[in-house]
Order: sequence, then C-alpha cells, then structure tokens
Amino acid sequence: MNEDELADIAKWVHDARKPLNRISMQAEMVKMALNGEIPIEKATLALDKIIHSTKDCSQTLTHMMEAIGGSSAE
Amino acid sequence: MLTVLLVDDDPEFSEVACTIIEFLGHEVLTACNLAEAREWLTKETFDHVLLDFMLPDGSGAHLFEELNELPKQPRITLITGHPSVKSIIKGLCGPNIDYLVKPIQREDIEAVLSTKKKPSPTPEPKIKKHFGHLIGESASMAELYKLISRVSRTKANVMLLGESGAGKEVVAAAIHAASQSDGPYIATNCGAFSKELIGSELFGHEKGAFTGAVGKKEGVFEQAEGGTLFLDEITEMPIDMQPNLLRVLENKVVIRLGGTKTIPVNCRVVSATNRKMEEIAESKVLREDIYFRLAVFPITIPPLRERREDIALLATYFVDEFNKDNGTHFKWEESQLDTLTAYDWPGNVRELRHFVHRAGIMSDPESSEIELPKTIESPFAKKQSTTSSLAAGRTIEDVEKELIYATLEKVNGNKTLAAEMLGISTKTLYNRLHAYGDLSKDDS
Repeated sequence: MNEDELADIAKWVHDARKPLNRISMQAEMVKMALNGEIPIEKATLALDKIIHSTKDCSQTLTHMMEAIGGSSAE
Repeated sequence: MLTVLLVDDDPEFSEVACTIIEFLGHEVLTACNLAEAREWLTKETFDHVLLDFMLPDGSGAHLFEELNELPKQPRITLITGHPSVKSIIKGLCGPNIDYLVKPIQREDIEAVLSTKKKPSPTPEPKIKKHFGHLIGESASMAELYKLISRVSRTKANVMLLGESGAGKEVVAAAIHAASQSDGPYIATNCGAFSKELIGSELFGHEKGAFTGAVGKKEGVFEQAEGGTLFLDEITEMPIDMQPNLLRVLENKVVIRLGGTKTIPVNCRVVSATNRKMEEIAESKVLREDIYFRLAVFPITIPPLRERREDIALLATYFVDEFNKDNGTHFKWEESQLDTLTAYDWPGNVRELRHFVHRAGIMSDPESSEIELPKTIESPFAKKQSTTSSLAAGRTIEDVEKELIYATLEKVNGNKTLAAEMLGISTKTLYNRLHAYGDLSKDDS
C-alpha cells in the first residue's frame, strides 16, 4: 500500500469514526433518560440519532470499499 | 458551578456534551471554530475550555497562547477523535492542560470538570530506599550497598552479622531484591522453634511423620525454591539439628521428616546472628563446617551509632510513615533531630522506629509538632549517656558505672567476659550490678 492509499484510508477511517463518536454520546443520553436525569422523550430522539449514525457509518464504509477495491462492502 | 466553553465543529457532539455538562450543574457556551471561540473569550470569563484539537479554521492548540494571556487562565481539555494524535496531544499537556479521546463518555466529562482537586501525584519520596528496602546515605551504608550489589550477582550464601535491631532482616530482603531471582523470599527464625519443630519447619514433613502431622508440609527450603531463604538467629539453632542443615547445604537436597524421597532445593541462604564472629567461634553455638557453608560472604551491618548521619534521615522516614498511617502531619524540628542524632540508640534502628512511633502517639494529632520526652529512655538505653563520659565534675563511681555498662554492651551482656575486660572478678561485677539495682536475685 502506498502513501496516497494510506492517506485515503485514514480519511475514510476519520469519516467512519465521526458517526461512531456520535453514537457513543447519544448512548449516554439514553442512559441519562433511563435514569430519569433528563426527559424520557430525549431517549427516543437519541435512539433515532443512533440509528441514523449507524447508517452514516455503514455508508462511509461502503464508500471506502468502493474506493479502494471497487467491490461492495456488503 | 463552572463556566465552560465547548469548542467543537460537530454540532451533534456539542449538543449532547452540553446536555451532560448542564446536567452536571455547569454553565456551557459553545463555539464551532477558533474564530467563534476567540469572540467568546473577549466577552466572557471561563473556568474550563473543552477544545477540539482539529477545527475547520485551525488546531485548538492555536488558542493556547491567547488562553495563557487571559487574566484568569481557564483549565484546558483538548478533545480529539483521532487516537493517532494522542501522543502529540500528550506532549502538549501540562499541569493546566489535559486531554480526552473520542468516543467520550459522561464519566470522562465529569472527571475533567470535577472541581475536586485531583490528588496531587504522590511526591517522589525524598528518602531513597536502596534496593527498595534500605535507608541511609552514610559511608558505612554505601559500603554495605556495594557488598549487597556484589553478592547479589552470585549465588553465594550470606551471613549477616550485626547488633539486635540493626536491620538484618531488611538487609536480607534487600539482597533478595537485588538478586532479581524468580523465586520467593522466605524468612524464618531458627530461635523461634522448639527442637522438635525446627526440623519440620526447615525440611518439611510427610503425613504421619510425628504425632500431629496430619498432612504433609513443605519446609522453608522447598518454599524458597529459586529464591532466598532467610534464617534469622541461626546461632540459636539447636546444635544437634545442625548436621541436618549441613547436609542440605552440602547436597542441596532435603528429605522431609518421615520421608525417604530426596527433594532437590535451590535457594540462596541468608542467615543472621547478633553474635560477633569471634563469639560464634568461641562459644561453639554454630558448628564450624556450617559456619563456612553459611558465611561464604559475611556482611557486618553497622550499628546506628556508627552511622549517625543517617539518624535524621531514618527519623524523618519513620515520622512520614506515621503521618501516612495516622493522617497526622508531624514534622521534626532541627533541634529535635540533633537530639536524636546525639543519642547512641543501643537498640539501633528498631529502637529509633519505636521511639518515633511512641513520640507520635504521645503528641497532639492536630499539631505538626512532635513532643519528645525529656530524656530518651528505653530498656536498652536506660544506662546510656549521651554526654561525653569523661567530663570534670563527675564522680569516680559514676564513671565506673558507665564503664561497666559500656563493657557489658561491648560483650553483649556476657558478664564473665566483661569482668575479665574490666580487670575485676565476676563476683565484684555482680556486686556492682546489684548495687545499681540492675540484677534480680535470680541473676546472681
């Protein structure tokens, strides 16, 4: 793997990390809601955002696979 | 409550982080780039800045200088989503700057914003423990360290000679530590077992070897496999058990009591006695052949009065230990350390340690001042004088008394030897001691 390819992968990894970090934070929101520390509706909202972020992450990984191998990430 | 500035370009992260920070009872303002952050800094005063390392208009680190120039410098926590730059960020950290790596949990935010002062890192102990055990920077201790270092590189058996309380067991542990052997350090006291039990203690026994031997037992030689066996008070070992010990030392195998199988053993034997070498030879408490097996490398541990420069160091160490155990904050005054240094400590380091603990218990725990008793007295020390022995104004009787006690101490209390050294009969010596009230009738 050459340096350019490595740089590309680093970028994809960065893009995939972003939704993962969001998922982690939203999971904290769910925990807080379940503990009664914030309104329970916030948990629903957070879970929606988690689902959204997993799709983002999956999409990023698919793009990465397409970019580096031309194959599907499925 | 803190006022926090959160600088991050991910609005979703910022939103959740704000919820958490507000829930923790703090006030939070947000910025999504350096420019916005700079603007906030001109308008508000912050206690803490949570700063993303990579922002659209530059690195969070670019804000350091401006933050440092503020009249009230906030604490800074750098945030990164790139574990790969962790080491760079670590390098930027200081007493006022720390970092978090995404994904972040609520507890992480809670920890960095905690108003409780982080426990200051335990200060490096000022007092160095050589080989992890020994304290002292005097020339005689430096010599001891040299010997320990040399012998630790070999497998030689060591005999430690030194007065009671001088630290023989600590030196044995230091030798073990310096040897970096794989096996354990096992210590036993040869004077603590009856003639019947010492064989079992040293060599182990098989089930049913004697009445009460309900199971088999490994002896200390087996337990110390690959390590160090410390035999304290070796000269108190019954003489008729010594041939068995010799056999183990020579053949490097043990046979458990009641057993027939030979078990190979491999450990360094460090033995100790408070008798002097000449006394060991004269009194025949140790067989000569055993002596030469055990004392391949004899080490004499200096008494505390021969390394007075270490007394202050040891006293400080003991008071620090006392403070740690009891939540006190006692400190020595220079004059107190001078008093301790002037004293002879016939009970050596052990006596000093007990003295410091006793003084600690007697002192007001709310104060930092240690109350020293007017005179330093202990069962070992009551006849000791810290003043020069031959000053005009003292009576002959007084000086004679001091000479008698000094001689007795020199010969470890052996009255026959002391009388001989003093040039008086044993009877006269006993009479004098009676007169001083130092002998019970049974002793005479």
